[in-house]
Amino acid sequence: MIVQTTRFATLEIDDARILEFPNGLLGFSSYRRFALLQPDDQSVFFWLQSLEAPDLAFVVTDPGLWVPDYAAQIRPEQSADLGLADPSDAQVLVIVNRRDEVLTANLQGPLLVNVRTCRGLQIVMAERRWNVRHELMKVGAAAPRLRATA
Amino acid sequence: MLVLSRQLDQTIMIGDDVELTVVDIRGDKVRIGIKAPPHVAVHRKEVYDAIRNENREAAGFRGELPGARPSGRPSGPTPPVTPLGKGRPARRPPEGDRGLRDTA
Repeated sequence: MIVQTTRFATLEIDDARILEFPNGLLGFSSYRRFALLQPDDQSVFFWLQSLEAPDLAFVVTDPGLWVPDYAAQIRPEQSADLGLADPSDAQVLVIVNRRDEVLTANLQGPLLVNVRTCRGLQIVMAERRWNVRHELMKVGAAAPRLRATA
Repeated sequence: MLVLSRQLDQTIMIGDDVELTVVDIRGDKVRIGIKAPPHVAVHRKEVYDAIRNENREAAGFRGELPGARPSGRPSGPTPPVTPLGKGRPARRPPEGDRGLRDTA
């Protein structure tokens, strides 16, 4: 499908690669369909672009790259919601925020995506060990490069 | 807001299948036991609010992102869900632990 976005102009996205969050994200329950955009092969940051709101996009990353012992806990009914037959079919992503020159990740509200069905869910971690502003790194210079069909 | 007075060990029913029980009272701290069916999500409100607020802030992400793998970081697995571009297969996650475990 062709998607209009504020940040990346017009994108052409394969329908089979669209992620569906049936409950939306916390605070954004009415936006349910997203595309995960990879700036380039080496990028550890991705954009989760809403297909319904051109200006709504989140930066996400794989927490395993930053916090090796990070573990998202999923309840059985959440597995059922996602249609997860095997926990290894889930990809964990966390939303990245920027405060001044520091990038932080929300480890307390990770996103789980069933890579087989492309269904996703944001979960709330009860564990106090993880917080919503885990520092990842200071911001460097290079900009993301996106392949867009302008 | 409906306000009810309850004593220790007394319960409030919400609907047919949610029960809140006062299990302990000590000074200004009250412990509440919650019985709810699995599809009812139960969270401390401040945690829920913190995540929601963080989502809202992150939605306004502006500025540049480091494009490449940050130096000094161990190279981990490439995240497998990469729906950009045509004809690129969705990669399967690498074998092994992906940071997920069942709490059951």
